Amino acid sequence: MKRAIVLIGLGWTLAAVASPYTEEELDSIEKALNKTLSEVVVTGTRTPKLLKDSPILTRVISAGDIKKSDATNISDLLQAELPGIEFSYSMNQQVSLNMQGFGGNSILFLIDGERVAGETLDNVDYSRLNLNDAGKIEIVKGAASSIYGSNAVGGVVNIISRESSEPWTLNANARYGDHNEQRYGVNLSVNRGKISSSTSAQHTHIDSYDMKNGGDYSRFYGGGTWNVKERLTYRVTDRLKLTGRAGYFFRERNAQTNVHDRYRDFSGGLKGLYDLSAGRNLEVSYSFDQYDKSDYMVASKKDVRDYSNVQNIGKAVYNHTFGGKHILTVGGDVMGDYLMTYQFEDNGDKKQLTADGFAQFDMNFRKDLNVIVGGRYDYFSESSMSHWSGRVSGMYRKDRVTFRGCYAGGFRAPTLKEMYMNFDMAGIFMIYGNPDLKPESSNNFQVSAEYTKGLFNATLGGFCNLVDNRITTAWSQGLQGMVYTNINNVSIAGIDANVSWKTRWGLGARASYMFTKEHVKRGDPYSSSTRPHTATMRLDYTKRWKNYGIMAALNGRVLSNVTVDEFTSTSSYEETESVKYPGYTMWKLNITQSVWKGIDVIATIDNLFNYVPKYNYSSTPSTTGISFAIGLSIDVDQMFK
Amino acid sequence: MILAGAICIMSLSSCEGIFSDIYDEPVTTSEYGFVEPSTKGEAGKIYVNATDYKRWTYIDFSDERIDTLGVDEAEPADWDIAIHRYDVKTNGGAVAETTESDIYKAIGLGNIAEESFVEDIWTTETIITDVSNMMAGYLEYKESYYNPEMSKWLNVDKSEMPPIYTPSERVYVVKMKNGERAAVKLENYMDDSGVKGYMTLRYIYPL
Repeated sequence: MKRAIVLIGLGWTLAAVASPYTEEELDSIEKALNKTLSEVVVTGTRTPKLLKDSPILTRVISAGDIKKSDATNISDLLQAELPGIEFSYSMNQQVSLNMQGFGGNSILFLIDGERVAGETLDNVDYSRLNLNDAGKIEIVKGAASSIYGSNAVGGVVNIISRESSEPWTLNANARYGDHNEQRYGVNLSVNRGKISSSTSAQHTHIDSYDMKNGGDYSRFYGGGTWNVKERLTYRVTDRLKLTGRAGYFFRERNAQTNVHDRYRDFSGGLKGLYDLSAGRNLEVSYSFDQYDKSDYMVASKKDVRDYSNVQNIGKAVYNHTFGGKHILTVGGDVMGDYLMTYQFEDNGDKKQLTADGFAQFDMNFRKDLNVIVGGRYDYFSESSMSHWSGRVSGMYRKDRVTFRGCYAGGFRAPTLKEMYMNFDMAGIFMIYGNPDLKPESSNNFQVSAEYTKGLFNATLGGFCNLVDNRITTAWSQGLQGMVYTNINNVSIAGIDANVSWKTRWGLGARASYMFTKEHVKRGDPYSSSTRPHTATMRLDYTKRWKNYGIMAALNGRVLSNVTVDEFTSTSSYEETESVKYPGYTMWKLNITQSVWKGIDVIATIDNLFNYVPKYNYSSTPSTTGISFAIGLSIDVDQMFK
Repeated sequence: MILAGAICIMSLSSCEGIFSDIYDEPVTTSEYGFVEPSTKGEAGKIYVNATDYKRWTYIDFSDERIDTLGVDEAEPADWDIAIHRYDVKTNGGAVAETTESDIYKAIGLGNIAEESFVEDIWTTETIITDVSNMMAGYLEYKESYYNPEMSKWLNVDKSEMPPIYTPSERVYVVKMKNGERAAVKLENYMDDSGVKGYMTLRYIYPL
């Protein structure tokens, strides 16, 4: 820490001597530098740890980054910020994620560290993960199974809610854009003695609209969302903090004239954090999440539920610090997982109990050397399956360069759907589950080097994931239908590079690039559609005067084309034909003007270079060309300061 | 501790969810046919199970009777219109599409021009009888008469998966071969659970 203070002090002194900047500007620079050095992350290790010291390479998307991206939900944001991520459409315009070759069922999405229930075609409802009250997003790429268990084989995305220490804050925001796209949000936080409350509400809407050209789809399905959350914190004593939360989410999608798809989520939880003594704390929590799908029949006005996933999760984590620097973390989770779905025979239901125990030892030998070893044991009642996975990671810092390396064993247990599906695909064919599936297992390696000098940062990394028993569907001649099955030896490797730079005069730039190569054995019923080259970049400028400020951000993403070896038959996996899906680039310009105390006026031009797909593949963005939006954000509390 | 937690969690009443009463329960019925006959100008209701690709459902307005027979079976003696999935044929009749969506407004449309009525056509690749080989690239059809006018009551755009269903919401006037007329509107093509092929028809007979 002393070194950090010296650095800040040195930077401050040099800046003061060598530059003609105002005191406000220098203050802003110091804050930015300070923030970079003192950023605390929790996702990689499940305990708070300085970002710069963490051996788990963690990408943090700050509240400022979220503002610069003008994103509504997590899919908008991740695509703008990270290369190697693509949200495209599966059947029926259901959103599907590909992150470094892993699908949505291999990337764990968390809200304040808690899992979210429900899936559609293996993906959680990303529109539920809105950013209205998000303080920051932490992303850990690569296997995190040894910390989080199944579904974290490809990475973890943790959305961390904003916390305010002010007596009260109130923000109201609105945004209106093409296709009658509307977004309204309200956030209220209150701190009164031992009690803090945070309330958040958001509504979004967009009309259905016709695409300019045909293709896999010719009309975008519009709809709307409602999202309300409340978090209440009670500091019982200096050592004990209790947090209760509740949330409701509703989405309606107007895919068909006579049937509207409805999605609801009810969530709640209680968490207690007890500081037993210096360096020892215990966190115990209970979490409830229920995700429902229903069909609203316009003609009969009936709202009939055909899917419900209910997760009850109990969790305990204990941290013990030895010698003031080595931290032992032990804990366990137990989850009751209930699933009723139209994809089971006779709309049936299944239950499963999963339980796990994990331990991790964080060894901080020196300030420039950190090693973490950990392991986890999981049990799944329905398949009577248990699995052990381990991880070792290390960080070594030499001058301005930080080296990180990690090996992690990953796994993903078959889901209830994959085990018990019995679904008639419109009379065309059946899809059957397979109770005898083995868990996906993987060996994952990651290395990186990070160079930091002042507000310049560059990271170069490489990764390799060797996945065995990957679960997919394949044609069964015996059953004359698709059946979930394990396949062998999928390997994914790549290179990840990131450069970011901030200047003292308010200019910032970031560029990220990823190369991904996925290898599948010929003859296996799976073909890779991962784009090999992807990049994101941002150029931003921020300047503040006494009563006026401006922030301009140009965000771009570039995705290369990809050639996919598609099977010519659904019942044989020997014959393939190459299909080339075009690459594209999308740019977004966002200008925010702070016109008065806490009042921001935002203007956005999306798809700046008017990209219109000639053919709408499921992997092309649902755009009709350049679009415009305006927005207003009012921090009411700022008016009283 | 984990075991205790497991027992605790699995015993909670919320383990199968909450607020189930905000949803409607689908009404399952096996009562098909003239569930509400049309009398004295009042619209009636016919409920048809047309989920099977291999069957036609024959409707006789005068006898208020339906017969469901295989596509290879002989047609019954008396019938007025027949439904196969969303396809319609008439028994030597013709159909005119009106611009009305309210079936009672069809009562005042007694003088529809003769040229507005469309007779059945013979078709070889419209009546699909087997979709199980769709993934292999072919469908099985059955030759049959088919009324293209009345089949407009539900547009099925199969260029996307899943297909997009758009009902016309129009009233159709059926002219039988004996000159009698009936007004028919497709009110719904699904049951409460969203299963397609369960057809609810509103009708007025005689018109």
